[in-house]
Amino acid sequence: MKRLRRHGKAGTACAVGAWTATAGLILLAGVLLTRGWGALDAGFFLSAPSPDPDRAGIGPALAGTFWLALLTVAIALPVGVGAAIYLEEYAPKGRWTTIGESVVASLAGVPSVVYGVAGLAVYVRAVGAGRSLLAGGLTLATLALPVVIATSREALRGVPDGLRRAAYGLGATRWQVVRHQVLPAAAPGIAMGSCLAFTRAVGEAAPLLVIGAASFVTFAPQGPGDLLVSLPTRIFAWSAHPQPEFGALAAGAAIALILLLLAANLAVLALRRRMRMALP
Amino acid sequence: MTPGSLATAAPSAGFDGFSAATAASRTPSERLAKRAFATCALLAAAAAAAIVGVLAWQTASFFSDVPLTRFLTEGAWAPFSEEPRFGVLPLLAATAQITAGAAVFATPAGIATAVYLSYYAGARTDRVVSASVTVLAGVPTVVLGCFALEFATPALRRAWPAIEAFNGLAACLVVGLMILPSVAALSRQALDAVPRSLVAAGLALGASRGRVLARVVFPVAGRGLAAAVVLAMARAAGETMIVTMAAGNQARLAWSPLEGLRTLTTFIAQTNMGDAAPGTLEYRAVFAAAAVLFLLAFGMQAAGRALLARPTTRAHAGRLAARRRPRTNRSRRP
Repeated sequence: MKRLRRHGKAGTACAVGAWTATAGLILLAGVLLTRGWGALDAGFFLSAPSPDPDRAGIGPALAGTFWLALLTVAIALPVGVGAAIYLEEYAPKGRWTTIGESVVASLAGVPSVVYGVAGLAVYVRAVGAGRSLLAGGLTLATLALPVVIATSREALRGVPDGLRRAAYGLGATRWQVVRHQVLPAAAPGIAMGSCLAFTRAVGEAAPLLVIGAASFVTFAPQGPGDLLVSLPTRIFAWSAHPQPEFGALAAGAAIALILLLLAANLAVLALRRRMRMALP
Repeated sequence: MTPGSLATAAPSAGFDGFSAATAASRTPSERLAKRAFATCALLAAAAAAAIVGVLAWQTASFFSDVPLTRFLTEGAWAPFSEEPRFGVLPLLAATAQITAGAAVFATPAGIATAVYLSYYAGARTDRVVSASVTVLAGVPTVVLGCFALEFATPALRRAWPAIEAFNGLAACLVVGLMILPSVAALSRQALDAVPRSLVAAGLALGASRGRVLARVVFPVAGRGLAAAVVLAMARAAGETMIVTMAAGNQARLAWSPLEGLRTLTTFIAQTNMGDAAPGTLEYRAVFAAAAVLFLLAFGMQAAGRALLARPTTRAHAGRLAARRRPRTNRSRRP
């Protein structure tokens, strides 16, 4: 209280606003845990969705989300980092690079549902992937790509130029400089920025809904060609259900999704620390 | 090499570093590496071109059947009814309603967060609040939609029984919570760009912290704060899951926030694409709605970036301060 008084009226008002995010987060966690905790048991993680709320689970959806995450990272990480390296280290500075830069920057702000509509026309129909996990992974990869490129470029730009010059001075070729100097130095930044892009993409439900996520799949997908199922669209399907028991299932699935994304973030944080320590 | 990376090394602005290595750059591995990276860049460009191209193509073919005037003037949006109607205005109005409503909640809270962290909070408070803002930014929107249905709507209906099960108010509140991290982070950047010397000068003249904020910091950071709000509103306009789950998909023009509504995003998300075979007018209507959404988000982003591109200069801040000088507030003086 003493602290608040010292801040004056303006400071007190700001303090109230500042704690809104924290309060919202605590409220969110509280609501999800009270509603969904009861649904979390071993069977919930393994069994398939069912009209009987007591036996319904997120097994296929969880497997689908793992596949989607794998496909998204496998497609968008090499393409995004490669494109960033080309733009930063190889491409001649000119009109085309500037145009590409502004296009990438503006695509990062396009709503995710628009990617779903485009993915439906391009990947589901034109490429012919159908309503498969592959189509979903390609769509999510396209969604993550602008952010991966932007953060990778920023990380590459942060590498001190002296490092490059020293390597060139010693007679290294461009590829050797990129491979042995620039990439290791930029890797922690690339990992962190890309991780944020990928967790956002994997948590997306809207684009998958548009390209046609199957809501009632009772078997776990075995490969990228199988029907598109995912945890976020599972949460949506259960939330839309009129019976309150399914709301509890949705909250349980939401807890599972948040834990999954949190674990991925912590793993990348640990990885980044190791990459930093490996730097000379 | 980007100009930016050379900013601190002025004498060697023409440094290429590679001309010396021309002989080595002809080795197969060098050529392969360059070609691989160029392919990645081309793939990314092709994906971007495919998105824009397919939207433009389908939208153009939509407008060959539905004239633009009908799209802009008709009073209802019902592509699937017996007598299809293609007026985009109701969708746009609902989108504007959600966006504005979210901004009403998120702007004060977000800017207050930034001000508090920059000017009042100690290191420990800063850590806790910044961490919760970061975590909140990473919560999937479908989880926030679930939160709206499980908590916000029931709480609102208990307080206010007239409210419908699907309503715009709960959607606005939760979308506001979703864009709060964006407003806070971008506002903080704007506040941190204010020269510390200006703040120090104000404090040294004996002004209170609140007064320095109102008279020095806000005028200087004004454009940046406006950009923060505009960029966050662009995210709110494109938000799909929260609005679909909390506000439903009512095929009507609802002006009351107590009722359900249908925005551009919820129409796209809830159109069962199985109903609309490729090539039909209904199918192309979805692309037209997506193109409008694309342009809307694109325009708001461009507006936000334009605000950021011309930050308030020191001279401009001086003029602002001069303009305010006659308005002394006598009542506040001791």
